[in-house]
Amino acid sequence: MRFLSSLAPLLLLFSGSLAKKAPADNYEDFYRLSQRSTPLKLSDATYTSLTAAPRNHSVAVLLTALETRFGCQLCQEFQPEWDLLGRSWIRGDKTGESRLLFGTLDFADGRDVFISLGLQTAPVLLLFQPTVGPHAVGSPEPVRYDFTTGPPSAEQVHTWLSRQLPNRPHPPVKRPINWFRWASTITIILGVGTAAVSASSYVLPIIQNRNIWASISLISILLFTSGHMFNHIRKVPYIVGDGKGGVSYIAGGFQSQLGLETQIVAAIYGVLSFCAITLAVKVPRMADSKTQQVAVIIWSLTLFLVYSFLLSVFRVKNGGYPFSLPPFM
Amino acid sequence: MAAKSPQGPAVGYNTESTRTLLRVVILCFIAAAAISSRLFSVIRFESIIHEFDPWFNFRATKYLVANGFYKFWDWFDDRTWHPLGRVTGGTLYPGLMVTSGAIYHALRTLTVPVDIRNICVLLAPACSGLTAFATYLLTNEMTTSPSAGLLAAVFMGIAPGYISRSVAGSYDNEAIAIFLLVFTFYLWIKALKLGSMLWGALCALFYGYMVASWGGYAFITCLLPVHALVLICMGRYSTRLYVSYTTWYALGTLASMQIPFVGFLPIKTSEHMPALGIFGFIQLIGFIQYVRSAISGRQFQTFLVTILVATFGLGLLGLVALTSLGYIAPWSGRFYSLWDTGYAKIHIPIIASVSEHQPTAWPSFFFDLNFLIWLFPAGVYLCFQDLKDEHVFVVVYALFGSYFAGVMVRLMLTLTPVVCVAAAMAASQILDTYLSWKTPVPVEEGQEAPKKAKGGLRGSDKPTVGIYSNLTKVMVSGSMLVYLLMFVSHCTWVTSNAYSSPSVVLASRMPDGSQHIIDDYREAYQWLRQNTKEDAKIMSWWDYGYQIGGMADRPTLVDNNTWNNTHIATVGKAMSSREEVSYPIMRQHEVDYILVVFGGLLGYSGDDINKFLWMVRIAEGIWPEEVKERDFFTAQGEYRVDEGATETMKNSLMYKMSYYNYASLFPAGQAADRVRGVRIPDQGPVLNTIEEAFTSENWIIRIYKVKDLDNIGRDHANAAAFERGQKKKKPTKKRGARVLRVD
Repeated sequence: MRFLSSLAPLLLLFSGSLAKKAPADNYEDFYRLSQRSTPLKLSDATYTSLTAAPRNHSVAVLLTALETRFGCQLCQEFQPEWDLLGRSWIRGDKTGESRLLFGTLDFADGRDVFISLGLQTAPVLLLFQPTVGPHAVGSPEPVRYDFTTGPPSAEQVHTWLSRQLPNRPHPPVKRPINWFRWASTITIILGVGTAAVSASSYVLPIIQNRNIWASISLISILLFTSGHMFNHIRKVPYIVGDGKGGVSYIAGGFQSQLGLETQIVAAIYGVLSFCAITLAVKVPRMADSKTQQVAVIIWSLTLFLVYSFLLSVFRVKNGGYPFSLPPFM
Repeated sequence: MAAKSPQGPAVGYNTESTRTLLRVVILCFIAAAAISSRLFSVIRFESIIHEFDPWFNFRATKYLVANGFYKFWDWFDDRTWHPLGRVTGGTLYPGLMVTSGAIYHALRTLTVPVDIRNICVLLAPACSGLTAFATYLLTNEMTTSPSAGLLAAVFMGIAPGYISRSVAGSYDNEAIAIFLLVFTFYLWIKALKLGSMLWGALCALFYGYMVASWGGYAFITCLLPVHALVLICMGRYSTRLYVSYTTWYALGTLASMQIPFVGFLPIKTSEHMPALGIFGFIQLIGFIQYVRSAISGRQFQTFLVTILVATFGLGLLGLVALTSLGYIAPWSGRFYSLWDTGYAKIHIPIIASVSEHQPTAWPSFFFDLNFLIWLFPAGVYLCFQDLKDEHVFVVVYALFGSYFAGVMVRLMLTLTPVVCVAAAMAASQILDTYLSWKTPVPVEEGQEAPKKAKGGLRGSDKPTVGIYSNLTKVMVSGSMLVYLLMFVSHCTWVTSNAYSSPSVVLASRMPDGSQHIIDDYREAYQWLRQNTKEDAKIMSWWDYGYQIGGMADRPTLVDNNTWNNTHIATVGKAMSSREEVSYPIMRQHEVDYILVVFGGLLGYSGDDINKFLWMVRIAEGIWPEEVKERDFFTAQGEYRVDEGATETMKNSLMYKMSYYNYASLFPAGQAADRVRGVRIPDQGPVLNTIEEAFTSENWIIRIYKVKDLDNIGRDHANAAAFERGQKKKKPTKKRGARVLRVD
C-alpha cells in the first residue's frame, strides 16, 4: 500500500504528459490509475490535465492541507472518509459507467492551483461536471461542497454527489468490517463474563448492597433534576466571566444555565434532601435526648437556611418571583 | 391537613368510621381545590379552548357528537392537509373525544342541557380531581402512614407540573391521560401485591384506556417490564409477579391493538419489545421454577440459572438482529431522540423545532415542583428502607421519570406523580414523627436494641425511639408548616401567572393597571370565516393549522399533526423562497389565502419571523439545493431583518409578508421592530403575486390573498409594475424580464 501510494505520483507525472490526447483517452488513463489506487493523488500538472475544459467525465477533487504545520483539523478528520468514499465508489463501479474520478490535491503538491483558485481555506471539495457527452452541463465551472457543518461522513458526501450526478450509477459506500473491533468486543464480553463468574463471591455483596444502590439512585435523581441533561444536550459552558474580570456563577434568564450553576443547585438539593432524611429517619432513632435535641436544631436550621438560599438563587433566575424566606431576602 | 389525622388516645368519637368520614371529606376538599385552582383562565377570560392541539380535539369531539361513533371511527378529513387529506379516525387517539362524548350524552339523558364546549373546557379540571384520588390510592399502597396518601393527593392536586397541562380549556390528551397513568400504576401495584388476576385484568383495562388516550402510554409499556425485570434480577420472582404481569401483558396488548392508530405496533416496534421480551422471559422462569421444585440438586440449579441468563442474552441478540434486518421497526424518532439526545437535531428538525421537546433547565423543575423537588430524593431514600416490591417500583419510576423529564420539558408531566408520591412519603414521615405528643421513655444505657436483619440501610438498623423534647417538635413541624404554606402560595402564583393564559387571547396591563385584552387571533379567524369562500384554502405555518380548522373552519395545507414532513417542507419552501418560486407552488396547491403571524408592532415574540429558521431548515431537509439556511445569515453569521438582512431574506415571501407596508405606520426613519429591537428600512418590500387582504388590530395576524392569473396574460411582476405606474422594462436588456413559469 505504502509502495503504491508513493508510486502513484510518478505514474501520474507520466500520464500528465499524455494530457494532450483526446478527452476520452484521458479518462481511460486516469480510470486505469484509479483502479490501482483511489482517490488519485494529484499534483499541479495532473490536476490541470484532469480538469481540462473539454471533458466527458466528472471529477471530484478534494483540495486539502494535510501537513500538520497547517493545523487543519477538518482536513485530517475528513481524509479517511474521503478515501473510503473514493475506494467504494470505484470498486462498486467496475465498468466505469458513472465516469466519475476522485482526486486529492494536497497543498504541498499543488500550491499553484490553490493560488490560481484564490483559496484561503481548506478543505474544499470541487465537483467538475462533464462538458461534453451525454451528461454534459452548461457551465464548465465546478460545484463546491459546503463544509460549514463539521466534518461530513462519507455517506453525506455520497448523497451530495449522487444528487449532482443524476441518471448514473451511484455505488454505495461500503465500510470495511472492523474485524479488530469485533474481535476485541467479543473478547472483552467473554473476559468480563468470566471475571464476573469467578469473582462473584466478592462482587455479589457489593452488587446486592442496598446502600450502594440507594446512593446511585439518589445521585442520578439529583443530577437529572438539577438540569444535567440540559447541559449535556445544549453543551452549555461550565462557567463564564461577568465582564468585570470576575466569574458569574448563575446565568441570567429562566431558560439558560451554566455547568457550575447546576452543580451548585444539585448540591443544594442534596443538602436539603439529606436534612429531610436525617430529620425523618436518623433523629428519631437517637437514644440520648440531649444529642437528639441538638441534632434536630442543627438540621432543621440548616434546612431552613439552605432553602432560603435556594429561593434567593431562584429569584435571580426568575425576577418576578415573590416568595422568600429570611435571612436571604 | 395531615395534622388532622388523629394520633391521640382513642376516645369516643375517634373510631374507624369517623376517620373514614374525615378522609372522604378531606379528599372531596382536595378535589375541589384541584378543580378550582384550574379555573383561573375561565374566570379571567371566558370558557374558551386554549392553544393549538386542543382546537383539533375540540373539532374532533364536535364531529363525534354530531355524527356518531362509527362515522367518527371512519372519518376521512378532506379539510386538512389539502390536497392529501388525513385519515383522521385512524390516526388519532380517540380516548379523549369519546370520554367527553360519553359525558355529553350521559348528561343529555339526564336532561341536563349542556354545551359540548363546556364539557371540553372543564374535562381537564374534572380529571385532575380524579388524579388526586388515584394518587391517594397509589401512595396508600406504598406506606402505612395514614397521612401520606392525603398529602400526596393534595400535592398532586395543586402541583404546577401537572396544572401546566390541565387548566380549564387545555383540552388535550394529557388532561385525561395522567389520571389513567396514575390509576394504571395503582392497579399494577395492587395486582402485584395480591397476585390477583382480577386486578391484573383491571390494570390491563385501564392500560387499554390509556393507550386509547395518549401516545405517552409507551411509558407504561416500558416501565412495567423494567419493574418486573428489576424484581427478577433482585431474585424476587414470585407467582404473584407471574400472574399479574402475564395477565396485564396479554389482555393489555389485546386491548391496545383495538385502537386503529396503534394496530400491530405492539408486536412490530422497538418501544414495545421490552414488554414482549419480559413476557417470554417470565414464562421461561415460570417453567424453570416448576422444574426446580420437582428436581433438586445444586449443580442442576446452577445449570438452570446459566440457561436462563444465556436465553436472555440470546433473546437480546435476536432482537438486535431482527431490528437490523428490518423485521422490527427501530425506535421511532420521537422515542429514539430521548436516548440519543443529539439525534433529533440532525435528522428530524420537525421534532427538534417544537418548544416542548427542548431539554429542561433546572429552574423549570423548581418552578413546577417547588419544595417537592428536594423532598423527592428523601422519599426515594425512604423506599430503600423497606424495599418491598412496590417500593422498587417507585425507585425505578423515579429514575426513569427524572431522566425523561430532564431530556424533554413536556415529560415533566410523567415525573410529577412519582414526585408527589415520594415527597408525600417523606413529608408524612417527618410530620408523623414530630406531631406525636407522646414522649418516649428514655432507654437505659446498655440495654441492647434488637438487631435488625442484615442488608438494610445504614442508619435505619436501630429501633425508632421517638422525639423527646417538645421544643424540637414545635420547631420542625412549624417549619414544615411554613414550607407547606409556601408551596400552596407558590402553586397558586405559578398557576395564575404562568399557566392560565389561553394563548389564543393575550392579556396585557394598561398603564393604569387595568387589563387589556389582545384578541387578534380570533379577530382574524372570524374574518376568514365571514369573508372567504367555504372551501378557501389557507396556507400558514403548521402551528396555526388546528386553530384555523377549529376557529375559522377553513381547509389548511398543514397542521399540528405533523405526519407528512414533505408537505410541511413544501410550505416551508413557499415561505422561504422568492415570490417567483413560491407562486407556482401556491397555485399547484390551490392556495387562496396566506396567513402569517407578525409580532413586530406589539413585541409579541412567538411570531413567524422568529420561527422562520425552522421553516428554512425543514425545507432544506427536502430541497437542499434550493433552500439554504446559510443564505439567511449575513456574512458575519447574524440573523438580521433590518437594513443589513441578506438578499435571500429580503426576497423571501415570509419577510415580505411580515414587513409589507409596515414602515408606513411610522414617521419616516422611525419604523422599528419591537421583537427584534431593530430599525426597519423605510422602503418596504414590494409584493407582486399576492395582495394584502386583512391585518388585525395589533398587526399580529396578517392575511394575504393569492392573486389569480393576469387577465391579459402578463406576468405578475409586469402587471404590478404597471399598476404602480412604473415604466415597462425594456425587453432589450441583457437577460430579459424574468418570466413567470405557470403550469
